[in-house]
Parts: sequence; structure tokens; C-alpha cells
Amino acid sequence: MKLTKALAIGFVISTTVLSAHAQRRAEPSGPPNPFAGNSQAIAQGEQAYNQSCTSCHGPNGGAGEIGPEIIHNLSVPLRGELNDDQILDVIRNGAPGTAMPAWKGKLADDDILKIGAFLHALRGTAIDNPLPGNVAHGEEIFWGKGQCGSCHMLSGKGALKGPDLSNVAAEYKSNLIVDALTKPNHRVYGDGGVHLRSLPPMDTYDAVHITLSGGGTLDGVLLNQDSYSLQLLGDDNQLHLLQRAQVRALTVKPALMPTDYDKRLTKDEFDDLMAFLTRQGRKAPAASASRNAEQE
Amino acid sequence: MKNFASAWGRGIFRTLLMGTAVALCASAASAQDVYPAQPGKDWPIYGGSYNNQRYSSLKEITPANAGNLQGKWTYHVEGLQGLESVPVVVNGVMYVSGYNRIDALDARTGNVVWRFRRQPATPAYQRGAAVAHNRVYITTNDGHVLALDARTGAQIWESKGGPKVSFSGMPPMVANGKILVAGNRFGTVGDGGGFIQAYDEQTGEYRWTWRAVPENGDPALDSWGGHVPGGGPIWIGGAYDPELKLVYYGTGQPNPQWSGKGRPGDNLYSDCIVALDIDTGKLKWYFQNTPHDTHDYDSTEIIVLADMTFKGKPRKLALQANRNGYYYILDRTNGEFLQATPFVSRVDWGTVDPKTGKGQPDPAHEPTVKGTITCPSTAGATNWPSPAYNPVTGLFYVTTTEGCGVNTLASSAPDSETSYLESPRDKEAWQLYTRAIDARTGTIKWDYKQVRSNHYGPGLLTSEGGIVFSPEQFGQVSVLDAKTGRSLWHYNTGDLITASPLTYSVDGHQYLAIASGTNIFTFGLPDRSTAVEKKP
Repeated sequence: MKLTKALAIGFVISTTVLSAHAQRRAEPSGPPNPFAGNSQAIAQGEQAYNQSCTSCHGPNGGAGEIGPEIIHNLSVPLRGELNDDQILDVIRNGAPGTAMPAWKGKLADDDILKIGAFLHALRGTAIDNPLPGNVAHGEEIFWGKGQCGSCHMLSGKGALKGPDLSNVAAEYKSNLIVDALTKPNHRVYGDGGVHLRSLPPMDTYDAVHITLSGGGTLDGVLLNQDSYSLQLLGDDNQLHLLQRAQVRALTVKPALMPTDYDKRLTKDEFDDLMAFLTRQGRKAPAASASRNAEQE
Repeated sequence: MKNFASAWGRGIFRTLLMGTAVALCASAASAQDVYPAQPGKDWPIYGGSYNNQRYSSLKEITPANAGNLQGKWTYHVEGLQGLESVPVVVNGVMYVSGYNRIDALDARTGNVVWRFRRQPATPAYQRGAAVAHNRVYITTNDGHVLALDARTGAQIWESKGGPKVSFSGMPPMVANGKILVAGNRFGTVGDGGGFIQAYDEQTGEYRWTWRAVPENGDPALDSWGGHVPGGGPIWIGGAYDPELKLVYYGTGQPNPQWSGKGRPGDNLYSDCIVALDIDTGKLKWYFQNTPHDTHDYDSTEIIVLADMTFKGKPRKLALQANRNGYYYILDRTNGEFLQATPFVSRVDWGTVDPKTGKGQPDPAHEPTVKGTITCPSTAGATNWPSPAYNPVTGLFYVTTTEGCGVNTLASSAPDSETSYLESPRDKEAWQLYTRAIDARTGTIKWDYKQVRSNHYGPGLLTSEGGIVFSPEQFGQVSVLDAKTGRSLWHYNTGDLITASPLTYSVDGHQYLAIASGTNIFTFGLPDRSTAVEKKP
């Protein structure tokens, strides 16, 4: 269906090839992986992965010199991305025409399934496989030493400047949450060929200083803007809806979000904070395969 | 109410009269001269006229009064996932197309005149229809061209004969007694390569095919290093010169898209501007913008035809702002390369020989498993949005993307590829501009930044009134001063825009129109013609 649709669309040339590439492999739809979501099996899967797969695909499936990345840092699946069953099929039977061998017979099938469970955990959002640690202590760090609550809100408690984190673990992968606290340049980019279906929100939370045409200044976080207007959450916790004509000058200030939490906190404190954050959210019904079909 | 019967009678009489008038006008036009050189009252094909200048003769809307523009009507097109088509307007009727379907609207009010639907229904994106000689022409998603009566939507013919193909949804062209269409896949399965086809305008009989991949006996086959040629998709409309009897089209990338190892050589006729004899479909000349492409730099950007003095000599030119970041000027009589200038700040995929125009890809920018950053990105310095050329300002207006991208391969296998991403480096993020380039020198004259818009984006038009109508990807539509780029008026449509705009007039009033999301929006100056008269 996806192939037919893509060809009918026609002008997104890349789509046809990518879809065709993905479609070369018949889509197996086996029984659900019995180890999916089992933390002990996932840990064993990680071990098995490190023994057999890392040398080509890199640690945690992030791409090596020979094999492609299995886990990417994108917020959306790539076009043509393999689903869990297709990945298991590639592991068992190999990928003809590439260096990827068939592991059936070389690895026990339970190990292959555990590798599949490990990759599923890596590919899912944080809530699918929350990071280990002392969750209660992580919550103390969130509101205390970490000062997260001075910008962010959790279920109505906290502050407004940063994004609401009430559902963060259901929206982002664990590695992206870790990146957001530790890497200055952690912007998440999507697949370049995907057509947007609707106007996306502005989610950069730029801190700005505005000089108004009529005199005075405003500081705050930009919630959105277009060629003619700005929508600002002021440091006064009020919304300021401005026409560009009202703005004499706008400067973007250094980002408000610290990205050195791995240094501000001890390793245990950081791990516990991550254990807390990767549990904030509602588990979504499984629908990752159909999400992919919506793209071009 | 009491006059209902006579009003109805008058309406019928008027309709019959108008129909006759339309038919007379239509039969007066010769097969060679279907459209005026410049769009005015009507916008009958995708580019407004054969030369794709999108330079309207309408003068009602000017920089002086554009600030008074207001919404006239909106029409929701049901059943489509989005609109990328340019509606066409002839004699006050607007035709909005999808695959297998047309909605005909009163272009003053948006009210439906008729609808045509053919099975199978599909929500897929499609680019447009063409109107000529009282007929509307569209393509279907099962490889047919249809001719409908422009007054009622009645089907006159369905194309007959010819090889099996899949059309790309690009708008048909009506020229010299033929309907020209194109697509990405010659045949119905596998990679048969891009093609252009002609059918007889009167009967729908198949006439000829030109294929973008060389066939046996063509020396261009040597440019594939023994690899079976593939790709060269053609998914956007062409231009036509009625005097030279040549049609001009751009072809897409070679296959595999991002991996060139298995296809050493220039890979003709991928990423080319080609000129074909309209009577025979034979190749008259070609110019390849990006030889041995590994970045998906399709040359399918709209080709604009313009006559002007270039370096002291009057020339018939073909102009193209290419996806690879260069603005090309060719002599369209023979394909002679005249000039190429970068129109974006960063171009590093390779170099272009200033004398011959021959592109030389830089091997350091070949896609790899790890990912290689290259400028422009695969999304291109521009893409399918239509540019516009205004002979009075001498400016070529083009929706431009500044930014770079990452190309990755899935493995080291010769045909392996995955996709492309925006560059993660801060200053290489994608940003759209409405950019005015001096058409002769390629110098950038002004920029209008489309705040937040960063990908593909809509096309443009310009007019004798001195404006540029400039929609934005993120839903704003603006009228800019054609000389300075200063914004004069704007309106938020509230949805994404990836179509190109049109302008037309009915009853002497100029309208601007654009598809946004699944709606058509129209704008015009205030007038009282639609006001309800007060009863005494």
C-alpha cells in the first residue's frame, strides 16, 4: 500500500526508491517478541548485541564504519525504516548484497529475540524502557539541586518558561532526554524528505530581549513567530502578543537551558534524575508501525 | 420570488449566450497559438503562459493599493490530503484538479459550477490541469489523459494507445495540437526511467514518447559505465517556444539516488535541461546541470523562457535556478551555455566550469555510511516552487532555501541508500527566502525572509502592476513591491502552502489566488460588486 501510494504521488522521487528499498523484503509479521519490555532480557540483549553487532553498527546501534545506524536521534521514524519484525528477519537471514550476514544458526534464537527486545527499547520512547536509578531521589534533584522546577512544570507544579515535562518520557527517547541535559547542540532534525501535514509548533524556546518601538523593553521566551507577529511568554509570566511593527529590535539571548547537568550533578544524582524523568508520561498505545506509513 | 420563473429563464438564456461566445472564441484560436504570450484575464496553464514567466499583464493591484487587499472567497477541496496544484482560470471559471478529478468554480465567488470524479478516488498530491479550446485536460493515476468539456465536465475522450506508463501528476501542456504529459516510470513496474509523451489534442491518440534514459544505439548509454540506466524522473511541467517549436523540460536524478559507485560516468540524460521537437519528440539539445549526481539534484525546477539582450547581443534565453545552487542562463535555440552563478551562500557539492558550464562533483562530498554534509541539501537551493521573471524590474524571483544537509548510505553496497537530513550545524539550518536575482548577472538584489519557513515552500508570481505575490510555507501570503521586496500586505491562511499562486480577472477585477492545505484562497481589492442591494 505504501509503495502504491508513494508512486501515485510521484514527485517525491526519493520516496519511491526508499519505499522500494524497504519493500524488497517481504514484511514478516510474526508473533510479538516475548522478551519485549522485559528489563532482564533487554540487558541480556544488550550484552549479545555488544558481542556480535557493535563492531559493524557501532555502540547502541548508532552507526559504525561498515553498518548503518539502527537507532537514530530523530524525532520521527525515517521513511523505509524497518519495523521490529523486519529487523528480526534481517538478523536471522541477513541482508543480501551487503556485509550483513545471516545469524540464524550462529546465535540462539532466544538471543536474537533478546537483541530485538534491546533494539526495540532503544527505538521506543523513554517510557518503554526507563533508565535505571533511584526515582524518588531523582524527584528530589528535580525540585532541589537541579532547579528544573524553576523553568519546567510537572502536572501543574513548577514554572512556565520551559516546556512542560509532564509527558516527556512518552514523547522522547531516553538518549534525547540525556542529550538535552548534557549537549549544547542537541537540536533534533527530522527526515529531510518528509512533507509536513500541518503547521508544527515552534519548540526552540528562544530567550529573547525585545526593545519596543513605543519605548520600553520585554524579556521572555518566544512561543512562536511569523513574518508579521510574535508570541512571547514574558518573564512576568504573562503572554505578550506583538506585531513586528511594535518591535524595534530583538536579540536572542544565550539559551536558558543548562547543558552541563552531568557536571553539575554527581553521577548518581544525574542517573537518578534520568530515572525520574524517563518515567514522566503516559504510555501510548502501540502504533509505531502505522506512524511510519503516514510519511512520504 | 414572484420573478423567479422569468429570472430562471433569463439565466438560461444568458448561459446559452455565454456558452456560444466561449465556443466562438475557442474555435477562433489556431492550434499553433493556444495561449497569449503573457497571462492576463485568464491563467490557463500551470505557468500562466508557455514561457513560465508568471508575469501577468494585470495592473489593478499595485504597490499603492495592495494594502487594501481583502479575502474574497475560500473553497475547501474535499477528499485530498493536500493541494500542490495551481488552479487554472479561463473565462471566469476556475478549475481545481486532483488525479481523476476536477472541481469547476465560479472564479468570482468560489461557487461550484460542476464536479468531475473518476474512479479510483485518490487523495494523492497532484499538480494541475490545463484548459484550451473549451476543454480541460487532466491525467489519471492509472496512466490516462482525459479531455473534459470545460462547460459541463462531460468526458470527451480518454487517451488511447502508447506504452503503459505512470504519470507523475504534473500538469499537462497543450501545444501545437498535442497534449504533453510526463512521469517517473516508463512501464508499470520497476525503474523504466522518466519520460515525456504526446497525445493528439483532438482525439487523444498516442503520438510519441521521449525517454530520459538512453536506449540502445544512443551514445549517451556510454555515460553509465555499463550500468543499466535508471532515473531521470520528470515530475514538473515544461515550457514551450511556439516559434522554435521546441518544448523544454527538466529531468531528475539518476538511480540509485545517493550512491554513484555502480554507475560511473555522467549518467545522461539525468539532471538535464532538454529541448525536444514538439512534432516528433526527438531530442534537439540537452544541457546537464549536475553530471554523476549523488545528491538528488533534480533539474526539474521550472524553466523560464525570456528574450533579452545578454552581453550586448539579443538572445532567446532559457533561465533556471537549479536545485544544485546555481542560476543558469542558456541560449534556448541551441542549448549553448552562457552563464552560471550561485544564488545561495554555500555551494560545496562541486564546481561549475565558467566557460562550459560543466559540473564537476567533489568526491569529498560523496554520501557515506557515516553521513556527509553537503550544501545545498538534497531539498535543494530551490525545488518545485515556480519562480517568476519581471522584464520591467529585470528581476528573477525565486523561493530559495539557504542551508545544508546530510546524506547517508545504509551500507557500503553499490546500490545502498537511505535518506537525507538537515545539517545539524547551527548556521546550516534551513531557512526560506523570497529572493530577487538580477536576471542577467545573477546578482542577489533583495531578500524577503519567510520567518519559520524552512522547507520546499510555495512559488511566486509578478505583474505589470509592480507586485510580487509571495506565499510562505508556514501559511502567510504577502504582496511585495517587485522593485524593493518591501511587504505591502499579508494574510495568514493558517495552513501549509506548497503550491504556486495565480492571478486572473473577472468583470475587470483582479484576483490573487493560492492553494493552502486543502483550501483555495482568493484575494482582491474592495469593491461593491458582491454587495447585496438594499431593497427600497
